Amino acid sequence: MSEWTEIVDYFRGRSMWMLHYCTGCGAIELPPTMTSRWDMERFGITPMATPRQADILLITGYLAIKTLKRVIYTYEQMQAPKWVLGFGSCTINGGIYWDSYNVIERLDKYIPVDIYIAGCMPRPEAILDAFVKLKEMVQKGEAKGYEKYVKNYDWYKANQDRVLKRTSPVLKEIEKVTKIG
Amino acid sequence: MNSLLALLIIPVIGSAAAAILQRYRIVERLITFLTFSLTFLFLFGIKTGNLFTWHLDFLGKNLEMGLQITPLSIFMLYMTIAFGIVLTFYNLSEKSKMKGFLLLLTLAASNWIFMSADLISFFFAWELMGWSSILMIFGGRREAESRQGALYYAMMSIGGSYSMLIGIFLLSNLTGTFSIQSNVSYLVSILSVHPWWVLGILSLFFAAFMIKSGIFPFHTWVPYTYGEAPDGFVPYLSSVMSKYGVYGFLIFLPLTLGAHVPTVLGLAWPNYVLLWFGSITAVVGSVLAFMQDDVKKLFAYSSFSNLGFILAAIAIFTPIGLTAGLFHAFNHLLFNGAIFITVIAVISKVGTTRMSEMGGLWQKMPLTFLTFFVGIAAAAGIPPFAGFGSKWMIFQAMISHGLIFATILLFFSSIASFLYLMRAFHAIFLGQLSHRYDNVKEVSAIGKITESFLLGALIFFGILPGFILDPINSIVSSFGLKPLPTSGYEYINGFFSSINMVSIFIVVIIAFIFGFTLFAVVAKHKKVPQEDNYTAGQIPQDWNLTPEMYQFSYDFYEPMDKELAPFLKVKIDGFFKGFGESVEYIGGAVKEIFTGNVQIYTYLAIGGLVIFIIAGWVVW
Amino acid sequence: MVIEFLIKLAQGLGIGALALATGLLFGGIGRKIIARIQRRYGPPFTQNYIDLFKLFSKGSVSHGWAFDLGLVAGFAPMLAALMFLPIGPFTLLPSDSSLIMIVYLMMMAYLGMAMGVLASGNPNSAIGMSRALMLMAGYEVPFAAVIFSVYLFSKTGYLTQIVAQQAGGFMNWNIVKMPLGFLAIEIALQGMLGEKPFDQAIAPAEIASGPMVELGGKYLGFGMIQHSVGLFLETGIVVDLFLGGAPNFWIFIAKQFVLYFIVILVDAILPRLRIHESTSFFWKLPLFLGILQAVIVIIQGGVLNV
Ligand code: SF4
Repeated sequence: MSEWTEIVDYFRGRSMWMLHYCTGCGAIELPPTMTSRWDMERFGITPMATPRQADILLITGYLAIKTLKRVIYTYEQMQAPKWVLGFGSCTINGGIYWDSYNVIERLDKYIPVDIYIAGCMPRPEAILDAFVKLKEMVQKGEAKGYEKYVKNYDWYKANQDRVLKRTSPVLKEIEKVTKIG
Repeated sequence: MNSLLALLIIPVIGSAAAAILQRYRIVERLITFLTFSLTFLFLFGIKTGNLFTWHLDFLGKNLEMGLQITPLSIFMLYMTIAFGIVLTFYNLSEKSKMKGFLLLLTLAASNWIFMSADLISFFFAWELMGWSSILMIFGGRREAESRQGALYYAMMSIGGSYSMLIGIFLLSNLTGTFSIQSNVSYLVSILSVHPWWVLGILSLFFAAFMIKSGIFPFHTWVPYTYGEAPDGFVPYLSSVMSKYGVYGFLIFLPLTLGAHVPTVLGLAWPNYVLLWFGSITAVVGSVLAFMQDDVKKLFAYSSFSNLGFILAAIAIFTPIGLTAGLFHAFNHLLFNGAIFITVIAVISKVGTTRMSEMGGLWQKMPLTFLTFFVGIAAAAGIPPFAGFGSKWMIFQAMISHGLIFATILLFFSSIASFLYLMRAFHAIFLGQLSHRYDNVKEVSAIGKITESFLLGALIFFGILPGFILDPINSIVSSFGLKPLPTSGYEYINGFFSSINMVSIFIVVIIAFIFGFTLFAVVAKHKKVPQEDNYTAGQIPQDWNLTPEMYQFSYDFYEPMDKELAPFLKVKIDGFFKGFGESVEYIGGAVKEIFTGNVQIYTYLAIGGLVIFIIAGWVVW
Repeated sequence: MVIEFLIKLAQGLGIGALALATGLLFGGIGRKIIARIQRRYGPPFTQNYIDLFKLFSKGSVSHGWAFDLGLVAGFAPMLAALMFLPIGPFTLLPSDSSLIMIVYLMMMAYLGMAMGVLASGNPNSAIGMSRALMLMAGYEVPFAAVIFSVYLFSKTGYLTQIVAQQAGGFMNWNIVKMPLGFLAIEIALQGMLGEKPFDQAIAPAEIASGPMVELGGKYLGFGMIQHSVGLFLETGIVVDLFLGGAPNFWIFIAKQFVLYFIVILVDAILPRLRIHESTSFFWKLPLFLGILQAVIVIIQGGVLNV
């Protein structure tokens, strides 16, 4: 059975589809990563449109609390196996937003991050390096963030609730805003 | 008792009984159903060549009236009565204001039409059918609109009847007899001498048939009437009553086989013109259908679009054309019946006919959903369901004549039918289920039996078309044509290829088994509710997102409007409507009549019949 | 009898696997070609196999049995249609290899797929589906005109016989005899395969990949199989109709690849049209070519004697 798992992991590492959640300024580094200059498709990594199809969730930079809510929802809509890449110092320690009132400091308090890419902003080489690293981890069966999330769900949930309660209500009078016609 | 007479008398007796007991809905429906079944039993007693004649003495003239059975009439009788049984069985549990006694009157008229050997009986049967169905349109879901629909239908019917009446008098003046056969052979004999006379008389008849079948440019009443008719009656209206026109055409079409008719592309040119009427009908119906939001209207358009296919096929009066047309008539009856019965089942559950207000009902009504699915697959001509064979034969008939433009029109219509069927399928059954319909239940046991029966029939006649093609072949040979070769029940033969439906069915089944096996062995899936959907990261509850807002079905083909806009500018129904309004305007007295009171209409109908009889006397 | 049936079954599955492998390979090579045109290195040409394998090993969400049924129904009829396609010299069920049957079985697959993705209840998939259907209303019309010409020209509807009639060298191929028809079907092929400029249905940035929006894991895998087998079937039909079939399997896929190569080149350089533009495009030039071809065939060969 373990050989089978190894084979599966090998192929999983060779085909990773990415959902890029471009909230921060770092997103600008993704187009060169995808196109002719650096071409990430040669590692089997392709951008995808929806969380249902994706394996990697790439968070590019700072996350406001309201954004975090969407990220968590999106992450939970993805299906296992799934991995999260934190991209830029903002996801690591808040970066230049370290003292902001509405930006989270550490992403991995809310969802499990498999790999962080340091830098403000990280260059395409760094992103590719992270992809290759992730590939190796997946093939070795080490990238198990999604299992960690299930196992420690209470802890993550508590962390999430602590910040997310500041977002509600999103709008005071929902009906008024969303009414049609 | 003579079986031929029984086919007329039993429905009339049943109708009287149903009229007396119409206070008790269940009893009335039961009588309707039983009468249909009883009529069907008597059907076994009749055979090709059965005759029944009587003589009428009219002011010294001895008229021979009669009933006769041809292979075509047997085919039509079986088809219509069998469908009637299914429908009335379904109606046992249906609650719309359908009058059973009128349906039975229609049945009597319908049997009479298919059996009449002379034009007088044909005309009276035609009138009886027309009036009883007009009365039936009242009592639709919406009072005022259904009155409008009935008025429109009545107007068109009357127009058709007058046209036919004039034709009958002209003909009988020429021949001195009313027998259909001798009149047709008379027309054939003078065809070479007076082609224009013949064509004039023929077009008088054809106008009536075109109106009844809803052929372009007389299609305009169809959506109004179907859209407003009582739910329980619509399937009969669209599946059975549209076929009277087809029957009428088939009486007179052999005429054009005569050697003296000028031809276009190997077709007698009256036939060529009819073929074009058929093709245009098919396209107009499909294109208008995919702009509709009212489900009954959508399938009304679809219905006459298919009639266009049938007309185009029988207009090519070759063995394959005729076979294809009749086969499609049967298949249309079947899949249209299945579609309409499921549609009225849905309407009765959700209480609206607007498709944009439905959606997601597959979760609630699985059997209805499956029946509808197979119905539309058949309507789209997808193998191995009924509908594939006939459409394919129609195309073969057209291709073999090299009718490129008409074929492409028909093919376009066939593709467009795929579009509107998918749209209806999506809007009714797929997509998001509104919370309004949380308590919707699957149809009752009776409905389930009906639906499973139709489902089975669609598959059965799809993979064993021979059961229908055999009787059709005898019809074809009765018209003096050489029937297509037969090689077993599972074959659809044609010019280009003969297709073994059973082997295709088996291959598809094996492929499905393989597909499901593959589906089962690979990684597991997780069931999620419909709210758990891709919303671009937004959490639906935060935004008060309701299922109705997350359902895209209104104006489904909006980009197409731009392309088809010039095509849609032509408003034919405006002409007829304006005409109808002016007719309605003519006198207060006339207007008084249209109060919607069914009894007044009944008197009017009887009065109309009396006037016709008197008029007949005076003319002689 | 039973043995025969089992042999046929095994052969059928073999054909299915072969067609899938070829379709996936074509897809992979196509990705590579596009990458090279864009001056990228591109994924390995085996990438599509790896993707498919991964998809089948990944978890997924289901929106109920209609969703599951639809996805399987989107794949099974494609597999069934393969059994009637003459692949090189080999046809599994030659007596039923009617062209119209294959075309309509493919339609059934699209119907099933549509049912599945629409049952997911996502408006993006509904928009994608409505676009796919409108596009179909476009390309099927010239396709029909071409099939019409082929029928009248060959006077048969069996693909096996159409192939047999073209035996004996390049000058006997239908592409020489009906060049306009070939041109029309080649343009229609672009639409059938949903490649640019006709990829409105799956516009990823616009409507979140349209029909596939809720598909993940094995569901997307089924979608991928459907696309690959469809690719094999559609190019295969054109090869049989116009390029004279093939003496063996390798030449057959080589010919298919030539067709696909043209499609890919066009795909690589053109942007996306708007949906109503592309529908009406098919009603103009390709339809005109198709009808012209049919008229020529009618004038040359006359109609069937009936
Ligand atoms: S890490 Fe730097 S580049 Fe990235 S989001 Fe934060 S501030 Fe912007």
